[in-house]
Amino acid sequence: MVTPMFTPGFVHTPVTPFAADETIDWSSFGRLLDFHIANGAQALALPMHVAESVSLTDAEQREVVFFALEKARGKIPVIAHVSDAGTTIAADRAAHAERAGAAAIVITTPYYWTPPADMLLEHFHQIGASVRIPVFLWHAPDEMRGSKITTDLVLKLISRLPNFVGVVDSSNDWQFQINVLSNAQRARPAFQLACGTEYFASAGANGATGFFSALAGVAPVLTRRLYEICRKEDYFEARPLQTHLAALHRIVKSGGFAGLKSALRAMERDCGIPRPPMEPLDASREQGFLGELRRFPPLGAEPRGW
Amino acid sequence: MPLVLKGVMQSPVTPLKEDFSPDLETFERLLDFHVRTGATAISWPHHKGESLNLTIPERKAFAEVAVKVVAGRVPVSIHVSALSLRDSMDLARHAESIGADAIIAITPYFWNPTPEAIYEYFVKLGTTIDLPLIAYNSPSYLEGVELTGELTKRLIERLPNFVGMKEASFNSEKYLEIARVALPLRPTFAMISGVEFLAPAIPMGGAGSYSSAGAICPRLCIELYEACAKGESVKARELQFKLALLWDLFRDQYPSSLKGGMVLMGRPVGPTRPPLPTASKERIAYIGKQLQALGIMDTEPHGW
Repeated sequence: MVTPMFTPGFVHTPVTPFAADETIDWSSFGRLLDFHIANGAQALALPMHVAESVSLTDAEQREVVFFALEKARGKIPVIAHVSDAGTTIAADRAAHAERAGAAAIVITTPYYWTPPADMLLEHFHQIGASVRIPVFLWHAPDEMRGSKITTDLVLKLISRLPNFVGVVDSSNDWQFQINVLSNAQRARPAFQLACGTEYFASAGANGATGFFSALAGVAPVLTRRLYEICRKEDYFEARPLQTHLAALHRIVKSGGFAGLKSALRAMERDCGIPRPPMEPLDASREQGFLGELRRFPPLGAEPRGW
Repeated sequence: MPLVLKGVMQSPVTPLKEDFSPDLETFERLLDFHVRTGATAISWPHHKGESLNLTIPERKAFAEVAVKVVAGRVPVSIHVSALSLRDSMDLARHAESIGADAIIAITPYFWNPTPEAIYEYFVKLGTTIDLPLIAYNSPSYLEGVELTGELTKRLIERLPNFVGMKEASFNSEKYLEIARVALPLRPTFAMISGVEFLAPAIPMGGAGSYSSAGAICPRLCIELYEACAKGESVKARELQFKLALLWDLFRDQYPSSLKGGMVLMGRPVGPTRPPLPTASKERIAYIGKQLQALGIMDTEPHGW
């Protein structure tokens, strides 16, 4: 198999809206996807952890991908996040995503288990070999505290998996970013690094070309400007934008996992609250949180509502 | 002299004789080498200088040599961190008494102090002496004990002599949070990267780095800094990738392999004190092959 080419660019990672009865709110989800597509997304990746993938059933995850593909068809590509604890479950989900028309899949380390290095390689290999579309590994060590994605694992997977095209990094770790990219590009020159957090400027200076942003749903103008300036490799000009985005990230993070959905509500794009076991902000905390967002000047230039 | 912390600053290794005793004569040569090959400041003894394997009297003796040999050509900072905070205070007072230009100190070792205790530690250190104080942040080596943006803000507000930070988290979020808070409060605050991670740091407000590989390839380090400072991002990344290969080579049992590489560059500085190993002949031969492959042997200065 020839290594397929796909450069994801500026990738929005939408949340999953839920109704009061905790079912997926498909109507709001449709509006949300339309919003992302109309506000600068070059691709969508879903359901990522910010979309509560782990709180969705297997059937719901497939449905979410299928729904997004219908919405985005002919407009922008969709990357399907297919991670699971079991290798065959994730591989089946990947194959489903490919049949439905996904442009690529993204996978992180298995949930709960901490397999030995050779079995971790086997896990990724089996999932990647179940499809012909491009495969990205997602390095998210703060969330996935067990197994780690290492440069050694990446190099071994490159030698076994022709459709393995890149790493999405959510570690913010310069040593990892530089080490994995400089080594991987010697083995596969088109190998890509994408930034999986809101800290694209330093990742871009280290060679990242893709930017997966959850805050794109809150601040699509700021995130898109940052992406465009960084792609011109003008990182000095990017600094003020990156500093604003870091400040916004800090505010949203202060609300915990529910912070992102509360921030979307502040921007008049209500996507409900997280599914249990994750909790919403209580009313008094949300008031303080929303006040802080209102006092954040860069949000004045961002779109409100759908 | 006014303290300017910018560019590629060198933190020399500590030369030892074959019996592991201090080799002050070679230290003089090494300091002079660094200054002649473009170091914009000297800071000693970082962990690369085996600080924690030296006695307090040994540290004082080397510090005196550093101030004497550099002789005002560039600023000299003394790293005062020790296991006991009483020793750190003693080293800070000594640094001031011998005419050093600044002190640098990491968050406390071993203990897991609260943010308030970290704050109090730096306040105590910074008010014990009149010298400029550089804080050293290394959360990955110290199990999450770190200087946050909030602590940095409080320390800048409290200490007029808090002038900069060696930031060695190598993490975009942590680095930017400190820079975002510190630079508006104190625009001259120097964000100094540990090792040569300059490409991701300089555009985000970085002033320079404390070099890792400067004793091997000072020209390459300076070339990287200049590319970063000029905004030549593509060239900077190429050079950064090359230096990353060197960091992979030297970080193992740091600074043993670095000292091994210095033998090959004609600048032998002796063994590394236990519990760290001394680079074996086989390890040095391997390093030699890598330096040759990277073109370092042909492009960087040999000898003193």
